[in-house]
Amino acid sequence: MTRLIRSAAVTWALGYVLLGLAALGVFAVVLWYAWNVTIFAVREEVLRDDAQRLTELFNREGVAGLTAYLNTRVGMQIAGERTLLLTDGAHRRLAGNIAAWPQGVPDDPGAHAVAVDIAGRPTHMMLVRTTLPGGYQLLVGRDLALFRPLERLFMWGLLAAVTFLFVFGVAGAILMRRQLLARVDGIRQTVSAIMQGDLRRRLSTGKTGGELDTLSQTLNGMLDHIEHLIRGISNVSNSVAHDLRTPLAELRSRLEELALARPPPPETFAEIDAAVADLDRVMRIFSALLRLAEIDSGARRSGFVRVDAAAVAAEVVEFYEPAAEQKGIAFSFRTDGVAAVAGDPVLLAQAVSNLIDNSLKSVSERGAISVRVGRRADGAVEIAVADDGPGIADADKPRATERFFRGDTSRATPGVGLGLSIVDAIAKLHGGVLQLLDNHPGLLAQMILPVSAAR
Amino acid sequence: MKILIVEDNERVAGFVTRGLREAGHTVEHAANGRDGMFMAASERYDVVVMDRMLPGDIDGLAIIEALRKSGNRTPILILSALNDVDERIRGLRSGGDDYLTKPFALGELLARVDALGRRSVDRGAERALQVGDLRMDLLSRRVTRGSRAINLQPREFKLLEYLMRHANQVVTRTMLLEAVWDYNFDPQTNVVDVHISKLRQKIEHDSEQPLVKTVRNAGYMMCEHD
Repeated sequence: MTRLIRSAAVTWALGYVLLGLAALGVFAVVLWYAWNVTIFAVREEVLRDDAQRLTELFNREGVAGLTAYLNTRVGMQIAGERTLLLTDGAHRRLAGNIAAWPQGVPDDPGAHAVAVDIAGRPTHMMLVRTTLPGGYQLLVGRDLALFRPLERLFMWGLLAAVTFLFVFGVAGAILMRRQLLARVDGIRQTVSAIMQGDLRRRLSTGKTGGELDTLSQTLNGMLDHIEHLIRGISNVSNSVAHDLRTPLAELRSRLEELALARPPPPETFAEIDAAVADLDRVMRIFSALLRLAEIDSGARRSGFVRVDAAAVAAEVVEFYEPAAEQKGIAFSFRTDGVAAVAGDPVLLAQAVSNLIDNSLKSVSERGAISVRVGRRADGAVEIAVADDGPGIADADKPRATERFFRGDTSRATPGVGLGLSIVDAIAKLHGGVLQLLDNHPGLLAQMILPVSAAR
Repeated sequence: MKILIVEDNERVAGFVTRGLREAGHTVEHAANGRDGMFMAASERYDVVVMDRMLPGDIDGLAIIEALRKSGNRTPILILSALNDVDERIRGLRSGGDDYLTKPFALGELLARVDALGRRSVDRGAERALQVGDLRMDLLSRRVTRGSRAINLQPREFKLLEYLMRHANQVVTRTMLLEAVWDYNFDPQTNVVDVHISKLRQKIEHDSEQPLVKTVRNAGYMMCEHD
């Protein structure tokens, strides 16, 4: 039972039942009050009118006339509808349909709702008592018990309404609970399956677009993201294992051979230098991975400031200019002026640097690289680095930003295969995207950053 | 120079100590935060090399903060395995003067210790720098070699200024990247080397004596004589 009450659905349904009962109660009380007041007033008026008419008759025709009239009226009257009594000053009956002056009639004239004793039977009555000239007493009354059936009917009606409300309310609660429980249970089962490692499971969503469907859709979106992240992590650990193992294996065999062969000092030193170079390569991969993790965590967003992407790119271009010049590469930079975005200046510089570095590595001597910073029609800032190198094969483009991915065209160039992953992560951190397009020939890499970045 | 190393890892401490001694420095070593704090506070050193994470209750940054609060201005080089930008900033904000990520090349450490030690000696507002017959006027921003005027781009000027301020010391490529370009990422390509060679072409004509020397496995050094 406590389990039933704890259910949210049941709580809500019972709440509404109580609310319905309260509304019904208010309605009944108002109705009861209105009934009593109105009927009471009308009845009193009728009795007063009656008493008035009889008094006028008495004044016109005297005791004998009134007595005769009353006798006639009692004779043809439907029993019980009206109580009439005329007595002399000593309460002795002269005419009327009750035998004696009842006990409990108040002394003062006027209308009274009182319990009186008529022939030993206590009766709830409304009475109008009039004292006629000569001390004669006139009672005009009506038995209130006549209205009892109506009142009883009203009570029965009320009880029926309450029962109806209660029964259907509780039934509704149980039904709602069962339905809700079924849905929630479905969600719970799916989630525990996911927790046990079956990441591909998704919540079922109906087409009604109800709250639970919306919630399920949102949860499914979250699960997609989690699955993507986890797959990313496992990809990375596989790649890390592979890419770090290769140079580490080389290093190990180099050192082992050195220990075995014990070559003369000059050769030994050359081998040691090569070993340090191997190690540096491992370290370089390591730092790039850590950097990527740092960017992916989104922690850098807290340090966002207003940056002029054009100025950042200009500095990086200036930084690479001598290197391009040395290779005889035509290196150009174009901008439409200030291109302000909310971002991290160091990361943006690194992104541009990675793109230029990639181009420098792939472009042959006397090739061309152009860097352009501008605004798109929608106000977003676009940083584009284009070259006329071999580009990226269309089939490889979707995978080019994956960690450690190296396409056929780039396999021979130096690098660890994390450059574009870092650019992609930086673009995403700024709420933007990295697009890799064909430059016919070559690669056109565009970083598109929305102005209201960071969300 | 007299150098204090606060480092709990025996192997790293031994390696650094040997390297610094071979470079002609006097080296003392503290293996935990308490000793390090005591030694740094009670004796005068030219440079302190401080590991960021130390066993026990006192960590490197806490020591640095305490030293700075007590008015100790000894240059401090922080060694750390943490390479986040935030960590770097936190390290420098606590009062450290330079930040080096583990693992590091010995050459890098020696160069940075040298640069820090030198900084504590002359921090005057010089008007000009001079190496051999190369002269840099910091006010008019004019550079001359003998009687020949040399025209430099702003960035080349900054690069040369850094080299001249650290004349007779090894400066590494990373140090140049950080000081001249303010980049703390690895540009992969040998861009710094290209900048140096461009600078060389401007300040070392054929008939003139070379001034910028390449130091194998470390970086560059500006000096008058070979």
